[in-house]
Amino acid sequence: MKDFQYLLPQTLEEAVRLKEEYDKAAVFMAGATDIVVRMRDYLLTPEYVIDLKKIPGLDGITFSKEEGLHIGCLATMNEIAGNEDVRKYYPTLAAAAESVGSRQVRNRATCVGNIVNASPLADTATPLYCYDAVLEILGPNGKREIPITEFILFVRKVALERGELVTGIRVPYREAEGEFRKIARRDQVDLSTVCGTVLKFGDEYHIAMGSVAPTPLRLKKTEELLAGKKLTKELIDEAAELAPTEVNPIDDVRASKQYRLDMVSYIVRDVLTKLA
Amino acid sequence: MRVVGTSVERLDAIKKVTGSAQFADDIQFSRPLFAQVKRSPYAHAKILKIDTSKAEQLYGVRCVITGEYYKKRAGLYLEDKNFLAVGTAKFKGEPVAAVAAESKEIAEEACKLIEVEYEELPAVFDSLDGMKPDAPLIHPDLHTYKVAPIFYPQKGTNISHHYVLRKGDAEKAFKEAYKTFDNSFYIPHVQHVPIEPHACTAQYMPDGELCIWAACQSPFAVRRALAETFDFPLNKIRVISKAVGGGFGCKAGTTLEGIVIPLAMLCPGRPVKLTYTREDEFQYAYVRQGLHIRIQTAVNKDGKIIGSKNVLAWDGGAYTEYGVNIVKAAGWGCVGPYDIENIATDSYCVYTNHPVGGPYRGFGMSEIHFAIEQNLDMVANEMGISPLDIRRINGIRPGGVSATGQVIDVAGYQECLEKAAALIEYDKPCEPSGNPRKVRGKGLAGGWKAPSMPTDAQSSVIIRMNEDGTFILLCSCHDMGQGSDTVMAQIAAETLTVDVSKITVRTGDTDHTPYEWQTVASRSTYCAGNATKLAAEDLRDKILEVAQIKMGTWKKDLYLEDGYVRRVFYPDIKVPISTFALGLMLPDQSGIAGPMIGVGSYTVPNNIAADIKTGLSPKPVAFWTMGVNGAEVEVDLDTGKVKVLKMVSVFDAGKVINPQMYEGQAEGAMVQAMGTALWEELKLKEGKVMNPSFVDYKIPTFDDMPELIVEVVENAEPTGPYGARGIGEIVMVPGAPAIANAVANATGVRFTRMPLMPDVVLAALKAKK
Repeated sequence: MKDFQYLLPQTLEEAVRLKEEYDKAAVFMAGATDIVVRMRDYLLTPEYVIDLKKIPGLDGITFSKEEGLHIGCLATMNEIAGNEDVRKYYPTLAAAAESVGSRQVRNRATCVGNIVNASPLADTATPLYCYDAVLEILGPNGKREIPITEFILFVRKVALERGELVTGIRVPYREAEGEFRKIARRDQVDLSTVCGTVLKFGDEYHIAMGSVAPTPLRLKKTEELLAGKKLTKELIDEAAELAPTEVNPIDDVRASKQYRLDMVSYIVRDVLTKLA
Repeated sequence: MRVVGTSVERLDAIKKVTGSAQFADDIQFSRPLFAQVKRSPYAHAKILKIDTSKAEQLYGVRCVITGEYYKKRAGLYLEDKNFLAVGTAKFKGEPVAAVAAESKEIAEEACKLIEVEYEELPAVFDSLDGMKPDAPLIHPDLHTYKVAPIFYPQKGTNISHHYVLRKGDAEKAFKEAYKTFDNSFYIPHVQHVPIEPHACTAQYMPDGELCIWAACQSPFAVRRALAETFDFPLNKIRVISKAVGGGFGCKAGTTLEGIVIPLAMLCPGRPVKLTYTREDEFQYAYVRQGLHIRIQTAVNKDGKIIGSKNVLAWDGGAYTEYGVNIVKAAGWGCVGPYDIENIATDSYCVYTNHPVGGPYRGFGMSEIHFAIEQNLDMVANEMGISPLDIRRINGIRPGGVSATGQVIDVAGYQECLEKAAALIEYDKPCEPSGNPRKVRGKGLAGGWKAPSMPTDAQSSVIIRMNEDGTFILLCSCHDMGQGSDTVMAQIAAETLTVDVSKITVRTGDTDHTPYEWQTVASRSTYCAGNATKLAAEDLRDKILEVAQIKMGTWKKDLYLEDGYVRRVFYPDIKVPISTFALGLMLPDQSGIAGPMIGVGSYTVPNNIAADIKTGLSPKPVAFWTMGVNGAEVEVDLDTGKVKVLKMVSVFDAGKVINPQMYEGQAEGAMVQAMGTALWEELKLKEGKVMNPSFVDYKIPTFDDMPELIVEVVENAEPTGPYGARGIGEIVMVPGAPAIANAVANATGVRFTRMPLMPDVVLAALKAKK
């Protein structure tokens, strides 16, 4: 690991100021479960690490039906997975958070970190894509919001400007049925080979898949095919055939491209069948 | 028996669970230096030039070496290995230079400053390719290398050993067969993944003494190999092995020691330390060799196998100094625990530009049985015989004959088979999963293994009695988690009739603990156990020798019981053995005899080398341990994921010294076998390890543990201590094929390559449809 200077701001304003000053030479740190691994492998060589953990008020998880769910940028995966409101109103998000890494990792890893890390296989991304979650961003020019689907641009590339940080995620509340699925080689402590969420809001469907393209994806064509229709076996078959045409996975050490296509089809088919 | 056969608590239990056991990397030295290694980015390349001048000028660097500094080759059986590349780099990641510096960071920085010019050479990435006549030669001077007389390198080829076995007349058997079969399998490289990575510190003293602290299974073998390479007399080189966090074979030979020693020799007085990271461990320590295996089988109409032809092409990697012996062992065991009259086997050790192959639990048996046991099921299916019956028909029985022509007097295979079949309820269909997309099946597989060691491998043990009647047992068979310390204490305690708590075991210091060939081959309970028993008997005899004076009767009238010397005819007359710890004080207060020390030296009796032309020997090994695993699996037809629901283990241990530790060994082995069957593969692409960490090299977690049932058969080993024979490796051997057979039973699809990863399984299921 390359030597770096460790900075511990006490306020959000200070954090923004530091990041604005050091820009690409600095990296924010929350749980550090992604950046420490990447720093050890010299994939990330920051001169400054800005630790957010001393800034008060960033670890909250709040919910109301009117305001929806709010996840602070220091809320950990285990806190999210164990939160009663999340479990009740966003069970797919709870399941996704609980599927990340090991219990020890989930004690440190944050959901916001998972999104900002912008891995194609970020487990919490697909439920957030389905719920049209919005990222709250603070920067030198104040606050702004951006939908998650516009936030993740490519593998490890996000729509943050100089000095900006994500302070939280807002997840609108909508009554939904559906499931999060993680297909991995091993059931515990593994990365997703494919992960996906299928949600049904009345007769509207949202489907998101991870690890099948440079970013998580919403399967818009499949969603359109299903919209407003009754789930028959024929329709489900059609959706399961259409879904893989909307993704573009690769062969890698975890699985073949064909397997990932098959799993997209399987997740769509299986969850829709359960919803029918 | 009082102690043997009971589950006494492990001697190392408290230290291990409280984290106070000291491992090689834990040792703190004053004024240490830290080593780092510059490695080849190419799988096969000529080294044109190495410029170390910039590295040498970096502040804090003490010395920099290249392969040119110490060119002598090393090797346990075949001296083909340079610890630092000389002339050519033969695998990706081979050390080409090394640095010792005041800190790890400086050493790392210095490695970056070393400039190396290479000329890339054509490389070999598959053993079958490596055997072709036009293959690039990895060791052009192979024929000049020093080699143990039982190995046969082939001049002008990449074949470092060709073991030939010709028993009976295989060609004739195939002509007369009712049916013949021809099946091929591939077993990829896997890694041992011990919880403790390799670590080593070397300190060279200005007076010429060298001390090495290493995580090693076999301090004496390491001492000898290093002494020969670096030209030390054995009294000037000392190897110390502390607690070892798992070996599974990878800490048996020499790996990083030879990088650290030359650095230490250039910095007299300064300890030089190198500890591998997990990523280093995956790429630069030993790996289990890959294997192409083709099995041809000739069967008569009753399902009796009358002939077997086998070709084994082992991917030995860049150096095969240790691997050649695995290739030979696989030849001896080539047909598994089956009595087959006509056999022709060729087992080849082939150099490739892959990571260095080395011993791994099973020593070739885990690999070949993946093929042997699946082949048996395939033959059985074609013949319309049940997999259980084909094993009943062909499985070895007492008096049966091994592939090398050894008569097997003690053979519990059939008992193990029946017991395992009963435990897995092989005759009954699986309970339905409740989901039509999840299908279940059962599989059986047998296996056997013998210790593969020099015909005269030796062990020795010293037991010292303390003044209070407690004992210090000194041996060099090393406890790396398998429990040998506890086993030795139990055998000594049994013989000396004392409680195990009275015996302290000290190991792993070539200056202070007595000679042991190696802690490998599932030989410790047997070989070191025999030496322990001899040492305890020697000590007992010495005690009785003195006791006869004290107790006023002949020695033959005396025996030990519960830590007392008693008289046969007057058992109430007893004297605590501590009375004789320092000899005996006579009534006039003069002393006779002296401190009690028992010595036991043991060599495997009557082991005979195999014939060069036929590979036959009436007794190439001390014993064969055999047994059977059963597995029940559930296959998800949608995701291709295989879940192992249950495994059973029944082996003929001769005599179990410690039932709880036996159970632990057998359970761990089943889970390790499951790991190799389902997930483990060192994914190699043009010599590069694509998954050198636990991110993408998956081993089982507790969550994956199936229901595990362990039972045992005990047909005593006539020459074993209290009837025991070795079991450490064999209990893993049939696990993977049992799972593969169960998957085939569940799905009708046969997997001739491991591991059974979900994408591979799903693709095969789809192809079948």
